[in-house]
Order: sequence, then structure tokens, then C-alpha cells
Amino acid sequence: MAVPINTSNRLFLPARDTRMLLIKWVVALLVPVVVFNFVWQGDALINNVILGFINPGSSQVANGQLVEAVVFIFIFYLTLLALSGYLMAADSGRRGMIEIWVDILIFTVLPILLISATSNLIIGLALCGILWPIYFILRKRIPFLSFLNPQSLPAPESLRLVDSEQRAVMLGRARAGGFWFGSALAIVWLVVDLIFYFSGSLPGELLLVTAIRTVLFPVGGYFLGLLGGTLAVRRTIAANNNGNNGGASSRKKQKEEQILATSRAREEIREEVPNDLPLRSAGARNFFLILLMAFVIFYPVIDPFLFGYGTAGRLSGYNDAGYYVILALGLNIVVGFAGLLDLGYVAFFAIGAYAWGIFGSTQLGFISPIHIPLNFLSGLFWPMLLVTALIAAGFGVLLGAPTLRLRGDYLAIVTLGFGEIVPVVFLNLDNLTNGTNGIVGVHSPAFFGIQWSQVTPIPYYYLILALIGLTIFANIRLRDSRLGRAWIAIREDEIAAASSGVNLVRTKLFAFGAGAFFSGLAGAYYSAKLGGVSPSTFGFGDSVIYLAMVVIGGLGSIPGVIVGAITVYSINLFILNSLDSLASDPTNFLYGFNQIIVSYIPGFTFGNIRNLVFGIILIIIMIFRPEGLIPSARRRRELRRSPDLELLELGAMDVTTTDPGFEAEVRIE
Amino acid sequence: MTLFIQLVLVGIISGAVYALIALGYTMVYGIIELINFAHGDIFMMGTFITITIFGAFHITDNPPFGMPIVLAMIVAFVASTVLCALLGVVIERIAYRPLRNAPRLAPLISAIGVSLVLEDIGKLWKGLSPISPPQIFNTVLYIDKISISVTDIIVVVTAALLMVALQWMVNSTRIGRAMRAVAQDREAAALMGVNVDRVISFTFLVGAGLAGAAGFIFLLKFPTTTFTIGFQLGLIAFTAAVLGGIGNLVGAMLGGLLIGLVGSLVNLIPNSDDAAVRGFGIPHGGGAWSLAIIFAILILILVFRPSGLLGQQTPEKV
Repeated sequence: MAVPINTSNRLFLPARDTRMLLIKWVVALLVPVVVFNFVWQGDALINNVILGFINPGSSQVANGQLVEAVVFIFIFYLTLLALSGYLMAADSGRRGMIEIWVDILIFTVLPILLISATSNLIIGLALCGILWPIYFILRKRIPFLSFLNPQSLPAPESLRLVDSEQRAVMLGRARAGGFWFGSALAIVWLVVDLIFYFSGSLPGELLLVTAIRTVLFPVGGYFLGLLGGTLAVRRTIAANNNGNNGGASSRKKQKEEQILATSRAREEIREEVPNDLPLRSAGARNFFLILLMAFVIFYPVIDPFLFGYGTAGRLSGYNDAGYYVILALGLNIVVGFAGLLDLGYVAFFAIGAYAWGIFGSTQLGFISPIHIPLNFLSGLFWPMLLVTALIAAGFGVLLGAPTLRLRGDYLAIVTLGFGEIVPVVFLNLDNLTNGTNGIVGVHSPAFFGIQWSQVTPIPYYYLILALIGLTIFANIRLRDSRLGRAWIAIREDEIAAASSGVNLVRTKLFAFGAGAFFSGLAGAYYSAKLGGVSPSTFGFGDSVIYLAMVVIGGLGSIPGVIVGAITVYSINLFILNSLDSLASDPTNFLYGFNQIIVSYIPGFTFGNIRNLVFGIILIIIMIFRPEGLIPSARRRRELRRSPDLELLELGAMDVTTTDPGFEAEVRIE
Repeated sequence: MTLFIQLVLVGIISGAVYALIALGYTMVYGIIELINFAHGDIFMMGTFITITIFGAFHITDNPPFGMPIVLAMIVAFVASTVLCALLGVVIERIAYRPLRNAPRLAPLISAIGVSLVLEDIGKLWKGLSPISPPQIFNTVLYIDKISISVTDIIVVVTAALLMVALQWMVNSTRIGRAMRAVAQDREAAALMGVNVDRVISFTFLVGAGLAGAAGFIFLLKFPTTTFTIGFQLGLIAFTAAVLGGIGNLVGAMLGGLLIGLVGSLVNLIPNSDDAAVRGFGIPHGGGAWSLAIIFAILILILVFRPSGLLGQQTPEKV
């Protein structure tokens, strides 16, 4: 951790090194906050909320959202103030001022701007997912920008210990950080409020609030910064301070701190978490995860005052993205973990969709003597969700069984054939599936007797959230299980895995079954949400889209696949289409550009070149970054090691020439 | 019976086209063990090039026989073959060669990418809707109620000539020997002084050229083409290659013919909804199911005889 140079601990006129640190972090934090408030017009909103408290009835914010908005903003600023203290204390100075500022611009300001420009969270983030890799490539390739790269310093020779004096300095810095950041924020707001007041758009009674805030922010910053600093200090390694410790509780605490400190030290030594990236430590990761989960769970509440209007449409879009995530995670089991290229994955999705489609509509009454009362049917969605997934898994095993003896590329073709057969079957079996017209009037689920409407996306949002949570949990557990290790083993080398006692038949069947299970889940959700199924929605193109999600995100990497799914979904359904609508708008610069293209290629639309875009992305990723956007650790090692492997293989060949019995041939049955 | 013979004839003609495409799959697979997903789309490009050249020569339906039509056909055939061959080489250079030593999955995914790109280029070039070439040589000869057109004869003869030429090239020329050597053992061939990269490029050249020629032939016989045709026909042709034994040239030809016959003869299966047949048959008749049946054949072959009809069992090396 930080090795303080100066032990001065003044709050108001800090020593030079503390001053530089203050400038670095206060600016770094202030810029995104100001940008956020500017594009979001949070100022006006907060003022409205406060006005609503002072003078009920005058507020322009709907009363239902009032409390929620206040809670959100309150938590947001508390977190920021504590964060400033944490960052000040944890800073080691290895990452300079300019680098931090550029990072802040790229990683916080850019997403804020993009999200507000697209007024859609996942599209904005997906755009970032495209721009960030470009930034990484730029700073790696262009010498002028190379100073932005994080430097990899040699691992420290020994653990750095922080004695009580240094701790005091760190805490002092944290206090100063919180205080000055709070002050800067308060001053910016004060100025803005005064401007608005004198231009007449700020009611007078709010000036009192402004005054209170101006005082409260520095004071709050002082204490919250101290809190953040304490958190940072907890993760340092304490020098042995002549242990005069008292009771059992303090000994326990000391032990805890020791464990924390050693884990941190281990990370540092392995260069997993460099000193200058305090936000990437294991503890910080857990914190971010909790924060992310809270955000996702409360999102339907946050959305209205984040974007203002259009919540229902946006949520509905997220719900669609959600089942793509499940599909991608399911395909990841087959392709990413077990290394079996499945090009007909859409078949299982179709089977799942049709299973609930037939069962959850009047279609079942047409094709069989079973008549389920309609008010009862919706409640049956929950057990049927499982049954549907099991049906799909059954088909997965059914397809898997005959293809077990096939090698990778044959398998790809067989699954492709299966993916082509299934829609044909659904199309032609009129009396079962209603043929070309598909099935309409599929029932939406009911929860405790309350029927879900197809136009209210919020219940579906929580349903898909729960399903995604389940899928992620199952994926992680599967990956780390004995079965998951067997999958990875057969992906790496089938023959070696078989000789080490992995049962190829069972392992591959499980992979197919598990992959199909999740697509069945997604299929049932899809037909229940849409209220219908049509055979034309399942084609090879969809299978390729799912594959692109997994490949772009990173084969075998669970977070990668989720990011890949959201990115591809956004490119596929939003970005290209919105480019089209921009290009048809004469005021936009894309209009002229589009006119030029259309004059050469009649009938050009951005929606039409979807496959072109994905094709090029697939090729480029395969050639330049085969491990994907967020690779799994294992995959990265495996792919980056290849030059050494070449050497190894050459060596092995030399042996072959001298030893005729070296090359053993094994027939796989 | 007349219907049966007629369907057999149709099967042979489409089988000839399938066989030409299947040869490209089988050659590439034989030499670098890659399923070239883009191959069908190269064929699609061939049909588009042919249509474009017919358009440039202002050929209309049923043109009078004479110099312009012969010239147009020769130019279209040569252009389609040559341009597709070059396209194949370019694709190999850009998308497959950098991945020569990558894990097996990588070139396969790259090939899917190339296929998507070509499909969309085709879409941008000729639009979404199917397009029709001018019908040439529609003169129909009747032999005992069985109709054969002049085009059919041209199709079968051209395909047969190309296949014989390919057989000769692979078996009797220096480059053919090099191809067989690389297919057998790439390292050993390299040690013997074969330029492996050039041989692989040449394989792509020949395979893609055959696909281009198939595109030309296809348009003589079949009335429409569209940007998705490469994917469909490519899959069918791949099935043909697997049926004959992938990596085996004669097998690909045989497989093409068999698949053509199957695809044509399934039309004999009656429609079960048809009152005349009293429930016998399958819904919508066999024709609606031909793709499903062909893929079912593919799956069955791969399960019961993965080496195909003429291929030999290759043990996997450790």
C-alpha cells in the first residue's frame, strides 16, 4: 500500500503530496458527477423532490416516486463521499494524475453520455462494450498514448507493512479527500443554484436548503471519507504493534484483519491486483457485485426517474435481452465448457417455446382430449417451466446420443441439420402445431392467482431476473463440479480425458442435456411473454447469433458470455435499427452518408447488413482475440501459450523420427 | 412409371450440381480438415456473376441461337469460374490462413463468419427477393412422354467433363500429387519440398472454381436464385460429400448423385391430407420434407458409417 512521504496531517493546508493527491481524486470524481447531473438534470429533479417536501403539492415529480428518488440520491452521494476517502487512502501514486483522469473519462463519463444519448441502459453499455476494446487497442498500438497503459511492475520483494504512523497519515488523507470532495461538490452546486436563483428559475425557499447542503456536504464528507479510509486501511498489513491486546473479541478481530491482510498481500504479490487499482481487489469486487445486484433488483423503480419516460418499452427490451442471456449461457455449456460446436441450438429453444405454446393455449384441447380450465392454466406455468426445460433437455440427449462418436466439425454439421429439421417439422405438422400460422393466445403466467398482463413488463422482468440468476448459479456450480472439470478435460483433449477415466458418453450427453435445459427454460419464457409462437422465428441465423454471443463474450467465461449476449443483442436489435432511423432523418449527418451508399447500392439499410457486421466481427475475433472480450482465465492461458506449444511439438517430432513406436494410434469408439 | 423416370432424370441433373459443389467441400476437408461453410456462398456468388453477365449481354428469354448467346455463355462460364476461384483464394488468405495452427473450433467459426459476410454481400448486390435468369435452350425433346430439354444435356455433360478433368488433375499432374501429399501428411510433404501454403491456396482455387462453374450450370437449369441459396445448397452438397465419404473425390460425385435422386424421389411420397391416398403418406407430401429427409440421411450416415460410402476409416492420431 501507500508509503506516505510526508506525515503532515493538516486538513486545510495539506502538504504538497497530499495536495496533489487531492487534485487528482477530487477532479477525477467531480467530473463524472457534474456530467451525470448535467445530462440527467438531477439538479432540477432533486430540487423538485425537496420542494415537494417543503411545500407538498408544488412538486412536479409524481408523489409515488418521490421517496424512492430521495433514497436513491441519498445512497448515491453517501457512496461517492465514502469512495473519495477510500481512494485517497488507497492511492499508491503508481498511476499518475493524467492517466486516472483519462480512465475516468473513458470508463465513467463515456457510458453516462452514451446511456443518456440512447436513453437505454443496455444499448449505452453495449456501445461502451464496442468502444472500450477500441480504446485498449489504441493505447496499446499508438506510441503517443502508450503512457496510458498500466505498467506492470515487478512483484514486491516482501510484504509492505504499514505501521500506526502511516495509518494515521492514510486516514488523514482520507479525511481530507472526503472533506475537499464534499466542499467542491457543495460549491459547484451552490454556484449553479445561485445562477438559477438570480435567473429566476429557483424558488426562494430552496435557498435555505442550498445553504444547509453547502455546510452539510463538507462535514459529511469528512466523516464518510474517514469511513472509506478505514475500509482501505483494513486491507493493509499491519506491522506488529507490540501486541497489548485485550479480550477475546479483539483477538478475533485481529485475526480477521490478519486474514484480510494476507489475502490482499497474496493478490498483490501475484500481481492480480496491482496497488494502483484498489477498486479491483477481491473485497471491492464483492462490494461491486452487491451494488450491481441491488441496482438490478431495484431497477424498475429507478428507471422512471433515471430516464423519465418510456419505462415499459425499455423494460420489455431488457426482458428480451434477458432470455438471450439465458440462451447464451446455455450454449456456453455446450460450446464453451465441453467444446462441442452446436450450430442448431435454436432447435431446443423452439422446442421449449412450442412446449409451453401447445400446453398453455387452446391447442392442447385440439390435439388431445385433455381440457384444462383456462383460469387454472396460467398457474400451471410454474411446474410447466420445469417440464418444458426437461423436455428440451430430453431432446438434447436424444440428439446427443447418436452424435457422440463424431468429431468436432461433423458434430457441428449434425447439430446444424437438426436445427434445420426442427422448424420444418413444426411447420409441417399442422394438426400439432398449427403450421405456418403458429400458435396464438398462449397464456401468460399467473402468480398466486394474479394473472400477468402481457403489456406490463415488470413481473416478466423479475421472472427473467430469477431465471438468469438460476442459470448463472447453475453454470458456476456446473463449471466447478466434477462434471464441469470433465467437460473442460474433453474440450482440451478427448483422448487424454478418456484415458484418464472420463466417461465420454455420459459427459457429452450431460453437456447437451444441460445446454438444452436452459434453452427450454428460455423458450417457455419466450412464448409466455410473447403470447404466441411462430415457426418462422427459429432459423439458422438465430443459432449463429447465439454462437456469436458466446464467441464474442469469451468461450467458457460466464461474465464474458453475459456481456457478449447483451452486446450482440443490442447491436442486432437496436443499434442497426436505430442507425436506420437516424439515416432516414434528413437533419442527421448520417442521412447524406446513407444517400451516397444508396446511390451505389440500392436497397441498402443498416438492418440488412447485420450478418455482414457479425461475420466480420467473428472473423476478426477469431484471428486477433480468440479468447473473446472477457476471457476465462483458463482459456486465456491456453490460447496465449501457443508459441511455446509450437516449440514443444517440434521437439516431439524429433523424437518420432528416432523412435518408430512413438506415435501411438488410438481408435475412438 | 413415367413420373418415376422423370424424377430420376431431375435427380440426376440436380445431383450433378450437388456433386460439383460437394467436390469443393471434400477437397478442402481432405487437405486442411476444415468444413468450409463459405463454400455454398461462393456458389451463390457464381450464380450472381452469371446473371450479371447475362444481363450485360442483354440476353432475354428464348433467344435465337447464334453468336451472341454462345459468346455470352462462354464468357459467363469463364467469368463465374475464374472470379469464384479468386474469391476462394482471397477468403483462404484472409480468414483461414492466420488460423492454421489455432484450435480446431477457430477456423470453423471464422468460416461461419465468412459465410455470413458473403450472404449479406449477395443481399446488398441483388436484393432480398429471388431473381430469375433468362431461360435459354428451352427446346424440349420428348422420349415416350418423358421430357428432356437441351439444357439438361448441357448440364450433365459439362458437369461430367469437369469431374473427369478434376480426376485427371488430381491423379496425374504434379500439383495433384502435391495436393494428395499435403492431404496425407502436411509436415512430411513440407519436408519433401512441397510448398504447403501454395498447395492449400491452389486447392481453394480449384474448389471455389468448381463452385463457380456449378453456379453457372445451376442457372441454366433452375429458374431462380437468391442470396440464401448458397446456404441451403451448400448444406445439401455437404451432405453429399459426407455420404460419399469426405475427402474422397469419387465419393463426392457419387454422393451428389444419390442426394439428388433422394431429393427428387421424395416427391413420390403422397400428401396424407389428400383424400385420394386415404391417409397414406405424410402431411403436405414428401416435397415439403425433402430438406428434413436429406438431413436425416446425413445424421444417419454419420451415426452408422461416419466414413461414408467410399471413404476409409481414419484412426485418430494421438
